[in-house]
Amino acid sequence: MPMNKTINVARYEYLHHVSNKRFWIILLSVPLGYALIFGLSILLSSLTFDNRPVGIVDNGNLIQIEPDNSKPSTFFEPQIYLYVYPDESAARAAALADEIQGFAVLPEDYTSHFQLTYWTNKQPDSDVQAEITNFINKNLMVAENIDSAVLKRIDEGSHISLQSLDGSQTSDGTGWHRIIVPIVIGMLNFIVVMTSGGYLLKALVEEKENRTIEIMLTSVPPREIMTGKIIGNLSIGLTQIIVWVLLLGVAGFIFRNRLEFLADINLSGSYVAISVALMVLSFLFSAALMATVGAAMTSTEESQGVIGLMVIPMMFPFYFFSVFLSNPNGIIARVLSFIPLSAPLALSLRMAFSTVSPLEIGLVFAVIIILTLLMFWLAGVVFKRGMLQYSKRLSLKEIFNKETRNA
Amino acid sequence: MATIIVDKIAKSFGTTQAVKDVSFEVRPGEIFGLLGPNGSGKTTSIRVILDIYQPDSGSVTILDGPMTYEKLNHIGYIPEERGLYQDVPLDRCLTYLATLKGLTESQIKERLPKFLAKFDLTEHAKKKAKELSKGMQQKGQLIAALIHDPEIIIIDEPFSALDPINTQLVKDLLIEQRNAGKTIVMSTHQMNQVEQLCDRLVLINHGQVLLQGELSEIRNHFRTNEVIIEALNPLPEKLNGVSRIEKLNGAYRLSPQEGLSSHELLNELVTQGIKLNSFEVAVPTLDEIFIKVVKESGGADE
Repeated sequence: MPMNKTINVARYEYLHHVSNKRFWIILLSVPLGYALIFGLSILLSSLTFDNRPVGIVDNGNLIQIEPDNSKPSTFFEPQIYLYVYPDESAARAAALADEIQGFAVLPEDYTSHFQLTYWTNKQPDSDVQAEITNFINKNLMVAENIDSAVLKRIDEGSHISLQSLDGSQTSDGTGWHRIIVPIVIGMLNFIVVMTSGGYLLKALVEEKENRTIEIMLTSVPPREIMTGKIIGNLSIGLTQIIVWVLLLGVAGFIFRNRLEFLADINLSGSYVAISVALMVLSFLFSAALMATVGAAMTSTEESQGVIGLMVIPMMFPFYFFSVFLSNPNGIIARVLSFIPLSAPLALSLRMAFSTVSPLEIGLVFAVIIILTLLMFWLAGVVFKRGMLQYSKRLSLKEIFNKETRNA
Repeated sequence: MATIIVDKIAKSFGTTQAVKDVSFEVRPGEIFGLLGPNGSGKTTSIRVILDIYQPDSGSVTILDGPMTYEKLNHIGYIPEERGLYQDVPLDRCLTYLATLKGLTESQIKERLPKFLAKFDLTEHAKKKAKELSKGMQQKGQLIAALIHDPEIIIIDEPFSALDPINTQLVKDLLIEQRNAGKTIVMSTHQMNQVEQLCDRLVLINHGQVLLQGELSEIRNHFRTNEVIIEALNPLPEKLNGVSRIEKLNGAYRLSPQEGLSSHELLNELVTQGIKLNSFEVAVPTLDEIFIKVVKESGGADE
């Protein structure tokens, strides 16, 4: 029976929001907004990107292999093709006819001083310069009889991996995801806490404002009301994440040919487990904090101000991002790892950029679990006392006064 | 065996003593009035009965024992500060509150339409609470308190915000519930409703019991030998055997002189040629008793 009522509370909290059109509008507006921004930036970039071919005039007889113009030029991946012209006048005629955006002339003595002239009426994009340089480099290497397989490897570049001095930590040195993954974790944590926690806070304050809480308290014990609300609102946050992940999956499937770089992401099981566990703990702490605030405040307006204050510690790791990069085991990074609201991002950043000992990770978990339990105790005290105090905000003195606590 | 036994409960919040040494019993199948001015300790007493507050001392026995999780399902409660989820349709709100009282979905589907019809709310069932009038919201709350067929109904100010028609509806409902054997605790300021409905009552002020017992006993206890008369002609300023004449609306309240009974006073009036339309012994109203007792106890807090 008790569990049934907890489930009933959780189900109501969940369905109350999830069955609301506004929830889905907000939920879908986030990825749609990002898609719109992403699409617009691609559109703008493609509209401004000049992918007209570029001419090459080889007066130094350097070119031995033809430019590789086999890769199709598409809207998402426009290619700048290179055309070799027999002489400067032919290239100039093509440029004047707007068939090419410009042409590079390799002088006879190019290999003496490696200087060439690029003829154009507009500043070339960096891609144009890169295409010309790569093409010439390849031909220089062919001239030195370098094997085509080696050429291909040089073209792909080196793969650098990093290892800590004590050998306990390895990572992909070129891994852009070392930054992106913790940021994604931080953002997910932020979104779940602010939306689910926000719903929880709103629900509590509203129940206080509309006085339904007194009826609830004569039907369900306070602890079960709290548990049900936390489960229900956590489920809302998880629903958001699942929907976004599904949408990302669909987008990933549609654009799978252009997302090969994602294969670089190689997350260890322990990294994922620690990050997820910290996110759950962080949410539970926030939920208890929101419940405390909700029970102590008398109106939605009052509680909104407190939510604003909660954002600050969550954003600390973002504010101190450069500190995490330069000194991931420094005092600031360490302290932020022990604060429940900032821990998910702080610890995942530190684990990405340095070695965090298992002992320290254990200590972080121990401290956060203790703080979360303390926050739940405080939420219970404030909830029991403050939820029936309709007209007056619960003061700190009242919260910590033993006689008042026993109410 | 009483349904509710409140035994010497005391409750304080910080330095404020809300309730001290309050005791009373509520018997099965009666409507019990819990009376007192604002801030007298009524709501705290109710919350202690409902186990929302733990008493500092004393105890509450409810349905033959202390409050348990299971017993919560046998109590219907309408608090003084009432409300419903404002942004939720009435039927969904009532369904949710009924599930918290242990009803299954099928039981709710069977009972809710009947209650909505009885309270004339069927066509408003899909409306959000904020779209309903205060009276409609109050009726919605009554449904929430009754839908699980509770053995005990605790209701704070049942008639506030109700028009005369709905007041009668609620009165009939409370009588119907009492006749069905339910125990009802009613806290109200409307003494006329208490006089019409309550079998017994307790009056508390400053967290203490001032008086309790059966309504008729209490009224007899406070009755004097004053009489109320309606005369055909205006009364003279002085009458033999009368120490005080108070003019009421179309009538007079007469206080007989020391040692004179109401019978003897009637004879005196007839002897003096006063033509009477009516003569009745003045039984004090509950309002008068309430004011007298509260004033004697030092007045109300607010």
